Amino acid sequence: MENTTIVETHGLTKRYGSGVLAVDSVAMSVRRGEVYGFLGPNGAGKTTTLRMLVGLIRPTSGTATVAGHTPGDPHGLARVGSLIESSAFYPYLSGRANLRVVADLAGVDQKRVNEVLDVVELSSRAHRKFGTYSTGMKQRLGVAAALLKDPDLLILDEPTNGLDPQGMAEMRRLIKDIGQGNRTVLLSSHLLGEVEQICDRVGVISNGKLVRESTVQELIGEEGVLVRAQPLDKAEQMLATLFGNDAISRQDGALHLKVKPEQSSEINRRLVGAGIGVSELRPFERSLEEVFFQLTGERQGS
Amino acid sequence: MIATIKAEWRKNRFRPAFLISSGLVAAVVVLVFMTNWYQATHPGQSDRPIPLAMLFPDQFVNDVMGAGFPLGAAMAIVLGAIVAGSEYSWGTLKTLFTQGPGRLTTWSGRIVVFTAWMAILSAILFAVGAACSVLIVTVNNHAIVWPAVADIAKGFGAMWLILTVNGMLGIAIAVLVRQSAAAIGIGVVYLLSIEIIAVRFIDGLNNGSYKWIGNLFLGQNATALIGHLSNAKGVTISAEQSLIVLFAWLAAMLVIAAGLQRVRDVT
Repeated sequence: MENTTIVETHGLTKRYGSGVLAVDSVAMSVRRGEVYGFLGPNGAGKTTTLRMLVGLIRPTSGTATVAGHTPGDPHGLARVGSLIESSAFYPYLSGRANLRVVADLAGVDQKRVNEVLDVVELSSRAHRKFGTYSTGMKQRLGVAAALLKDPDLLILDEPTNGLDPQGMAEMRRLIKDIGQGNRTVLLSSHLLGEVEQICDRVGVISNGKLVRESTVQELIGEEGVLVRAQPLDKAEQMLATLFGNDAISRQDGALHLKVKPEQSSEINRRLVGAGIGVSELRPFERSLEEVFFQLTGERQGS
Repeated sequence: MIATIKAEWRKNRFRPAFLISSGLVAAVVVLVFMTNWYQATHPGQSDRPIPLAMLFPDQFVNDVMGAGFPLGAAMAIVLGAIVAGSEYSWGTLKTLFTQGPGRLTTWSGRIVVFTAWMAILSAILFAVGAACSVLIVTVNNHAIVWPAVADIAKGFGAMWLILTVNGMLGIAIAVLVRQSAAAIGIGVVYLLSIEIIAVRFIDGLNNGSYKWIGNLFLGQNATALIGHLSNAKGVTISAEQSLIVLFAWLAAMLVIAAGLQRVRDVT
């Protein structure tokens, strides 16, 4: 039976000589055929993790399996295309010549070069030197190089970095297209809208630790009810008695309850019955951004 | 391995650094021949006049060797530093190392192509030197007499070895410091200054008791090898030793650079 996971890590850790713990016991699994979003603020350990997955960095401890092999194994790399951070090519060579170099190294037929140039819509400018490319063109060439091997797994690290809004939209569309079918895409980003639009599942990393891994729907779709009432302390006390302390949090002068919206009328009846004035009572759905800030401890707008 | 050689050749065949170096090497040889020709035909009050016959084809190997070291060696250090160091500054090492071939395979491909380029540079040195000598002998109405093929082959092999070992020094330093600029500075200063001072200091210690250490330096052995090929007097290091030491330097630089490439993280 074919393994359903294409990337699996256990206790993956990277500690640099300076003592900095960049990645701390990350256990993640990416399933075949999905678009997996790897979320985290800048410096959270996303790139270090991805570099370990493609064998550029050796982990201090822990294990990883990528496309059925240890990271960096030539057999595994033959099935993995990657764009780690910004695309890196030889500035004195044209886009096409750079892809030819990569094709030689990857053992791919040179015919494939024109095919991937078409996919990223760079054919008309493939004769120009890489050093003259705009940021968007450079990133697209990076994606083209990652696609050369027609890989089972595509690892894209912040592919929209440095792109203008139009470039970001084009890259999103490209990634969506690439992610269709059986190909697995592991997309690292700190742009939440991007991940929410593209990804099936996400892993959230913060301070080197994987703090959550689930489907996007599971993550943002945790239903709840918002209650604005006076006096708030009394309302909180009462609702805690009903649903438990863990189900209640206070945000912006309102109470957020992790309960089903169908319970709203019951909540209203109880609060009013206890002489508490209810000014607002409605179901709420969190955005990925809210979840992200909650999980990573980052403050919105900071 | 073949794939990595193909990729490295595709990458480097039109590389500006190599093309410019080829032109510079050719220009240096022309300059040396033309300057010597002028001095030979206009001796003036010179204490050491240059015989015109020294510039004829039968002597061209010696003339080329003189032009190739240390200037050609310095250029080889610069090229080695650029070839290895630019992979760090452009970030292309991560592109190379994520394609499939192992790090040592990729590294080996680079070394094969680099040594091929050193052979090309040596060939340019010899071809331009031969052309200059033919021009001089023709203008002076003398018959063209070539040196023995074996002498040309020995000279070519020695020049290739000297350029390659110096180029490998540039590569090893660039891998060590992960950049080109510092590697060029360190390598060229070492070749043209540090080694000379160090050898002079060591040779003078305890009435020359440690001269054998000075005889293990790179430049000393390159000079000795050239000296043997051009029948120079006063060469104290044997041809065999100079060959062994130069190959040992080459192997050491290869192992150090390959080891660093294999084990170090690419950040």
